[in-house]
Parts: sequence; structure tokens; C-alpha cells
Amino acid sequence: MLINELNTKIPKKSEEEFLKINFDSLFSYDFKEVKTYELDIMGLKTIKDENSYESVLFNITKSLDDNQKVLTINKNIAEPIFLIHKIKEDETFFTNSLKIEVKENIKAQVVEVFVSESNNSCYGVNRNIVLEENASLEYVKIQDINASSSMIFSNCATQTKNSKLKITNFEFGEGFIINSFENIINEEFVDYELNGLIKLLNEANNATLVKTIHNEKNSISSINYKNSLKNSSKAVVKIKSIVNENALFSKAFQNCNTILLSDDATIFAQPHLEIYIDELEASHGTTTGSLNKEQLLYLQSRGISKDEAYDMLLEAFESSIKNNIEDEIIKEFIQNYKKEQYV
Amino acid sequence: MEKNIILKIEDLKVNINDKEILKGLDLEIKEGEIHALMGTNGAGKSTLVKTLSGHYDCVVNDGKITYKNKDLLEMDVTQRANEGIFMSFQSPVEVSGVNNSYFLKTAMNAKRAYAGLPEMDAMEFLKLTKEETAKFSIDRKLLQRDLNDGFSGGEKKRNELIQLLMLKPDLIMLDEIDSGLDVDAIKTVANVINSMLDGKKSILMITHYDRLLELIKPDFVHILHDGKIVKTGDYTLALELDEKGYEAIGINDVNK
Repeated sequence: MLINELNTKIPKKSEEEFLKINFDSLFSYDFKEVKTYELDIMGLKTIKDENSYESVLFNITKSLDDNQKVLTINKNIAEPIFLIHKIKEDETFFTNSLKIEVKENIKAQVVEVFVSESNNSCYGVNRNIVLEENASLEYVKIQDINASSSMIFSNCATQTKNSKLKITNFEFGEGFIINSFENIINEEFVDYELNGLIKLLNEANNATLVKTIHNEKNSISSINYKNSLKNSSKAVVKIKSIVNENALFSKAFQNCNTILLSDDATIFAQPHLEIYIDELEASHGTTTGSLNKEQLLYLQSRGISKDEAYDMLLEAFESSIKNNIEDEIIKEFIQNYKKEQYV
Repeated sequence: MEKNIILKIEDLKVNINDKEILKGLDLEIKEGEIHALMGTNGAGKSTLVKTLSGHYDCVVNDGKITYKNKDLLEMDVTQRANEGIFMSFQSPVEVSGVNNSYFLKTAMNAKRAYAGLPEMDAMEFLKLTKEETAKFSIDRKLLQRDLNDGFSGGEKKRNELIQLLMLKPDLIMLDEIDSGLDVDAIKTVANVINSMLDGKKSILMITHYDRLLELIKPDFVHILHDGKIVKTGDYTLALELDEKGYEAIGINDVNK
């Protein structure tokens, strides 16, 4: 199976949205097999995914399998739901589509971990998050696939009035990865927060596309990414927030900070605010640099080795994303996370 | 009994940003001695202590620095610190995200590892910080925050004192530690420094302020001018300077 030959609209490098992302090697790769990756949770309802999404990235997985499992959370649960995905088969394109519904007034936490020990395989993952009125979801994703694998992760959120969605996305894997997060806010008093840590090394090639559209007033979106890139790794982070005429008193914030830890690492960061009203609060900021040498010197001047000082400062840079996680169990899980535990 | 020389600087020439700042400086400090470095702005005082601590800004072009009978210029910043050199920064950098207590414990254990001593555990560390800070009524809450992050000028200086008390260095370099401090805070600085004087530890301090010199009496006062030490005396030289100014002792203050 070649993605290039799928009978659906797929991303083109020439399109503005996908500029700087090179899909060629993934889209022209001939996968020997296509499989649906089954979730560990038994008894989930299956529906046809008839949603239309902003991002064409959804099409790839959907065109291979339009079935979607539905995880409905209709009561408060004390501990987060952990979904650990690991693929082992080589040369296989795995599809996995899940709708996460959080019912009215319910508070939930979901963690998904994607690891792989296969060669030349790909995860095609679609997520459709739907929050009812006053619902709250803390969703954390860790992507940690190996160098020869790929992943296309497409996430769409639909939030009802007074709902709160907090996504924290950790990108650790070394393969070719593309993430898409879209949220079209059509209701009032929606709170949407997306925090990401992209920590790459070697030849990792990672792209993140975030699109948020405010169509209704009094809602908040806050997108915050931290990227630390080593060796020859490459990241593309495009954050687009649109605030339309009806979205008075919206708050739309974007922030993207990158530390390049080698001369060969590359970042393409593009914050983009499109605003059609005056009555709002909005900000965007992007920084790119290396570790602060004055801070490095200070730590060393108290006897800490250069390597350890370097690690301390890097950890400090990254910790703001980790510390922002609200659920203590998830926070501890992230602090102790090691890929080796899962492969 | 003749005291050992802890630091010997010979004909030191240092550039910062391709400009020669130190132009052949000589200085000798013995164990237990207190040296005060005075001079007009731009004379090279801070460059000297920065060079001694291994600051990346300072390029040594010529000269020799011997510390505890070892070639200091062969040591990197970390090694100098672990050999007992401590520079109190004029304006310590803020490091958000690094917990102050974790930082200090890491620094202490790095020094202990360098000396071949076992690592100090969290309980021992806590006990020691409690003891040391209590002696001088220094607020330990500073340790719970991130390193210098959002600290006031006075808090930053107090944090430097906590580090001094815990790391117990052999050569303490104070770069205008009294600047921006009120009289009570200066007394605390002086109390901490004086308490550390055991006849072995040496001090090299930069100050414009004779109040600190009243409280920490120097054995030697050096006047630095245009990258060289041009005059050396005892405490009375600082008094003379305070009374008459630099021009009276033949130094033209280019800043005026």
C-alpha cells in the first residue's frame, strides 16, 4: 500500500499548511500490510467515522479504515485511563481511530503512549475528542517510536459550553512524525490548552500543526510548545489561531521556545494569529537559541560539571511543560517514563 | 610560622572583547589573608576576579596564575570551584526551573565527589543548611524557590552567602557584595565572612564602600588602575582614599 495511491485527498508539500514538511519518503513507501490496531479496552462501541475534519491528514487513516471506536466517559474516575500502544510488526501501516467522549459535568484523564520496536511501520492515528457541557479532560500523549517508523497523528476537538480540554503532547521518538491538532470553538466559555514538548535527537523529523478557530465569544485557547533539538533532528511547529468576528472577548495565546543543542539541528517555527476583531486578548511569541551560557557558567562556578549543568538547564527548560500537568498520577508517570519499560 | 601562598599572580594580561583590561598584574595572597581591591570604574577589578574564576569573557594573553601550587589556567571553571575558588557574583543570574536547594545539594556533592568524600543525602543536607543559616538568621525559604528566580537584589546576595556557608571555599572572592544592601544586610555579610575566617581561608574583595571594610578589616588594600596594581597599603590606605579620593593619591579618574 502506498499512501500516494490512496483514493483520497492527501497533504501536498506545496500547500501553505504543509510547507517545510517532506512527506515524500513516507507517502511513497510501499507498506506490505495494512492493519487496524486494536485497543486494549474491551467492549467499546464501533461507529463509522462520518465527521468532516479541517485537516486532510485525517483522510489517510480514515480511507484505510473508517471504523472508529468510541470511549465514552460518563462518570468521574479516580485514576487516569492509560492506553499503551506498541507495534512490533515490520513494514505495516497500522490504523487506529478513537472517539473520546466526556459526558456533561464529568472530569476525566486519559494518557496514551505510542511506542514501536518495528521497522518501516507507521501508525495512522485519528482522535476525535468531544466534551459535553462542563466536562473536563486532561489528555496526555507520548510519542516514542523508533527511527525507521513513522506516525501520522490527527486530533480534532469539539468542545461544548464551559468545557475544559487540556492536552499535553510529548514527542520523543526518532522517526518521521506529523501531528495535527485542530479545535474549532463554536461555543462560549470554552477553555482549551495545548502544551507540547518536542525533544528530539539523531535524525528525528517531527512536524506539529496546530489550528484553532474561535467562532464564539468568551473562550480561551492557549498553545505553548517547548522544543529541544539535538544532533541532526528537525522540527516544524506551525501554530495558527483564527479569531473570527463573532468571537468577542476571546483570549488566544501562542508561545513556542526552542533550544538548538547542535549546529545541525533545525527548527521551523511559525506562529500565526489571524484576528478579525478588536475586543480580545491575544499574544504570540517565538524564541530560538542555545542554552544560556551565563547560567551554565554560574552552575559550573559552584563545582557542577559542564555536562551536569547542561542537563540541569535542559531539564529546567523542559520541566515547565511537565509541571503544567494537573493530575499528580500523570505527572509522576511522565517523570518516571522510560521507553525501555514498554518495548 | 610562615604562611603558605594560596594564590600567586604574575604579569597577568587579560583581554575582554579584544581590549586589554589587565596589563601585567602581580598579586600574592597567603592563607588567611584578607585583600581588598579598590579602584575607579573600569580599572579591571571585576576582570581580575572573573579571570580567576574562569569566566568565558576573559582571555588570558600572558602571565601566570598559581593556586595551591597548581597552574590555575590549566583548570576549567568547575575544577577551580572544586579546588576551593568561590566568586560571589555582582549580579547572580536567575535560573528559572532549577530548584535552589537541588542546585546547592548538587554543588555540594560535586565538591565532595571531587574530594573523594561520599555523597551527602537529603537529610544531612537539610540538617546542615538549617544549622548554617540559623547562625546568621538567613531565611531558608530562599532554598525552596528556583535559583535566584525573582529574587530581590538583597535576596540574591543572601543566597550567595548560603552557598558560601555550605561550600566552605578556600579563596573567597567578593565582587561588590555590599552593593545595593542596607546597613543590616551588610552586617550579615560581614558576620558570615568573619565567621569563616579560620586562618586558612583567604578573601579577595572588591568594594567601593568603606563600611564593609570597617566590618571586615583587610590586611592589604590594593589600588588597581589601568589594569595594574599601582599602590598597596594596609587598611589606612582605604581610609585615606575615602577621605581624599583617588586624585589625591595620584590617580586620574577617567570616569569623571
